Amino acid sequence: MSPFVLQANNVTWSAGSKNVIQNIHLQIKTGETVAIVGPNGAGKTSLLKCLYGEHSDYSGNIYLHGKPLKALNNKDIAQKVAVVSQHSESAFSLTVLDIVGMGLIPHKGLFDINTDADKHNIEQALIKVDLIKKQHQLFNTLSGGEQQRVLIARAIVQAPDILIMDEPTNHLDMYYQHQILMLAKSLKITLLITIHDLNLAAQYCDRVVIINNGEIVADDTPEGVFTAEKLTDVFKLECAIDKNPFTQKTRITFAGINNRVNDESKWLQS
Amino acid sequence: MKKHLFTKKLSFKHSLLLISSLVVITLLSSIGFGVVELGHKAVWQCVTQGCEKSIYDTILWEIRFPRVLLGFIAGFGLALAGALMQNVTRNPLADPYLFGIVSGAGLGATLTQFLPVSMQLVSLPLASFLGSLLAVGLILIVLYQNNWRRIEHLLLAGVAVSFLLSSLTTFILYSGDAFSSNRVIFWLMGSLARADTNALLLISPVIIIATLIALLLGRQLDALLLSDDSARTLGVKVERLRVITLILCAAITAVIVSYCGGISFIGLMIPHIVRPFVGITSAKLFIAVGLVGGCFLVWVDVIARTALGGQEIPIGVITSAMGSLFFLALLRKM
Repeated sequence: MSPFVLQANNVTWSAGSKNVIQNIHLQIKTGETVAIVGPNGAGKTSLLKCLYGEHSDYSGNIYLHGKPLKALNNKDIAQKVAVVSQHSESAFSLTVLDIVGMGLIPHKGLFDINTDADKHNIEQALIKVDLIKKQHQLFNTLSGGEQQRVLIARAIVQAPDILIMDEPTNHLDMYYQHQILMLAKSLKITLLITIHDLNLAAQYCDRVVIINNGEIVADDTPEGVFTAEKLTDVFKLECAIDKNPFTQKTRITFAGINNRVNDESKWLQS
Repeated sequence: MKKHLFTKKLSFKHSLLLISSLVVITLLSSIGFGVVELGHKAVWQCVTQGCEKSIYDTILWEIRFPRVLLGFIAGFGLALAGALMQNVTRNPLADPYLFGIVSGAGLGATLTQFLPVSMQLVSLPLASFLGSLLAVGLILIVLYQNNWRRIEHLLLAGVAVSFLLSSLTTFILYSGDAFSSNRVIFWLMGSLARADTNALLLISPVIIIATLIALLLGRQLDALLLSDDSARTLGVKVERLRVITLILCAAITAVIVSYCGGISFIGLMIPHIVRPFVGITSAKLFIAVGLVGGCFLVWVDVIARTALGGQEIPIGVITSAMGSLFFLALLRKM
């Protein structure tokens, strides 16, 4: 049995003639919480899509529990990998229960019906994300934080080995950002998260991978990768590193645009 | 944020009970209506004890009942096809008519009208199916060329395909002899007048099998309701599912069009009427939509054959009028 849930060896994926990610080597160990950070357009989401099989036209190799991802079908992958991605509003009025119930799909054949155990699992997932009282409410009427919790409940029902979350804290206020990440951590499964807020990554993740221009430029503990020099190089902003007084985790403070280290944004200052 | 008028739904059991009662009432009471007024007492006597006069037997069981059954099955199929298309495309305006599938089936059926009648039993539904497959094929080419990303363009592609195939049908009718063309034109406007055992034996198995397949695919179709990406992460082969579903819709539409002509907008209207009561997840919706669609078409046919006394109104004229108004109301609400 491979000690890695996911393993990428020399993965390159292109959109047209442009390599969006290139020569990616990444290993995700069982139980780890790994953040992928980087500027907009760095290739974070494309990397995730390769890792969960959405993009299959990559070169190199990706292994899920030691088996080549390309040799597995969609259903095999979905039984092991759950994804909470950025979603758009549905034209139809899905209820919370409708969406959470979708987590059963990878485990059911054409002729299978929902059992009492399935109903119990759905109920437990709704209790876990504290939405049992809103199970009949329409998804489109929930707040952003609640919608994320519904998708996490769906992932719980899916019972995966790894949960991949693509920018789960986008559009959420401070409280909900922390709530979503704490909830994900409490599932005690392997987590792979792309995130823009470096302080959240430092607070909740065991490992941080920085990706820039499609390549991994750092892969270590938050303390190891979040150095002023590295972050200034990647994000083109001066920054200071110290400790969060509440958590004692690494804290990153970026300077404003006036202190940009290159002249790309001079037009903003004129 | 959209307003949702019906956030509290009836339980599915209660909704199904209500709809089943509607089906029984519809099937029993609609056979009483027609040019010859039998009265409900006479109909009830025919159902429970046998008819008082033999002519009533003929009218009820040989003329009206097959027609009512055909109407029910055709309405069931068209409404099911609409619900399937709306769920598989996530487009609340999808319908076999607006997607050109009815026009494709109409074109195939029109071509067979010029064959000898003895050959039509097999060639008519087959040609309709090929015509509707042509429509689906053209739509799939558009989808494939934009890499399945622009589902919202499906409706526009469908309308364009519908116009294209309808224009071919019109040209064929223009070129044919006047008698045949007139017959085809009346039939294309939709009618249940062709109701006979052959029609029922051909349409019923197709609709029953299509319903079973739709129910089996229900769970996977549910996954599509949020987004294609979301469905893929749940292990659904989205493109394959979409092609299978569209072919299923083509088969349903083709057998109905081949015997009943172009009955439009049932697939658009009925899912919208039913969804507030049973929700949008596929299996429950498909059953409820089919039953309500069946009842709806039976009553539209009652109007078609009684409103003008002895003269029958093409059923498609009534559904088009109702459907167009419904479509406009829907657009206003969206």
